[in-house]
Amino acid sequence: MSSRRSHSRHSNASRITEEEINELVSKLQMMLPDAPIRRNSRVSARKVLQETCSYIRSLHQEVDDLSEKLSELLASTDTDSAEAAILRSLLMQ
Amino acid sequence: MEAESSTSNQQRKRKRSASESSEKPAQSTWRSDKEHRLYSSKLLEALRRVRSGSGSSSPRTDPPRSRAVREAADRALAISARGRTRWSRAILSSRSIKLKSNRIRVPCPARPKRTELERIQSAADQEKKKSVVLQSKAKVLGRLVPGCKKLSFPTLLEEASDYIKALEMQVKAMSALTEILSMFGGGTEGAPGMVQDAGAGTSTGTDSMPPPA
Repeated sequence: MSSRRSHSRHSNASRITEEEINELVSKLQMMLPDAPIRRNSRVSARKVLQETCSYIRSLHQEVDDLSEKLSELLASTDTDSAEAAILRSLLMQ
Repeated sequence: MEAESSTSNQQRKRKRSASESSEKPAQSTWRSDKEHRLYSSKLLEALRRVRSGSGSSSPRTDPPRSRAVREAADRALAISARGRTRWSRAILSSRSIKLKSNRIRVPCPARPKRTELERIQSAADQEKKKSVVLQSKAKVLGRLVPGCKKLSFPTLLEEASDYIKALEMQVKAMSALTEILSMFGGGTEGAPGMVQDAGAGTSTGTDSMPPPA
């Protein structure tokens, strides 16, 4: 690992080391849907960032679709019975 | 490792003062059942308000309404974060100004870190290409996560990981809600809480949606 600290001219307490970045990137990678268990430093940070972006985008898309479905459903269901059903199922979990 | 632990200690101290659940890192709470239930009830409340607010005369697939649902869900999600993360605060403050774009500059209460990405770049000339690529990716990421456009790289990554977990919970809660509501689609007039035929198919079938696989 390159000793970034000696290269850094800004010797503040808040300098970012490469290890930090790698650590965070690997943590991020764990959360992606198809995270390989045998995680090595082979996966570049760029790749992880890219997959993170597309994963967030797909999650946003899912939420949008669900919002659409929910708005349809909200218009057509009677609130009281639906709410009671929801509350009941929530309590049963 | 020392620098890493000291920064995370700082951030943990900040989180500790902000929230009462101090021991658990913020990440694990999104996965808990309690959080799920909390979010579901907030979501329900918000959705109820959406429903009563928009009246019954508008068509079902009103674009503003699905937008309102999305915003209500996001707001409930942000509230569930209990102010621990920047993206949640950004959602809450941007919604109150009634702006949908997440491009506005949210006055973050954190210290004004002048992008340390620039520091990375200046400090590592031989790895300039790598950091430029990272910076562009990070910028894209910063646009996706609300309120995180000008954060330092590690902070951005942390916000992103928390945001992803929260989004996953949001998706789970909303799909569960959708499933339940679709079972009771059509409405039973005048019989609150007395729905017996759960899952027996929508007899008063106004919705013809296939059950989510």
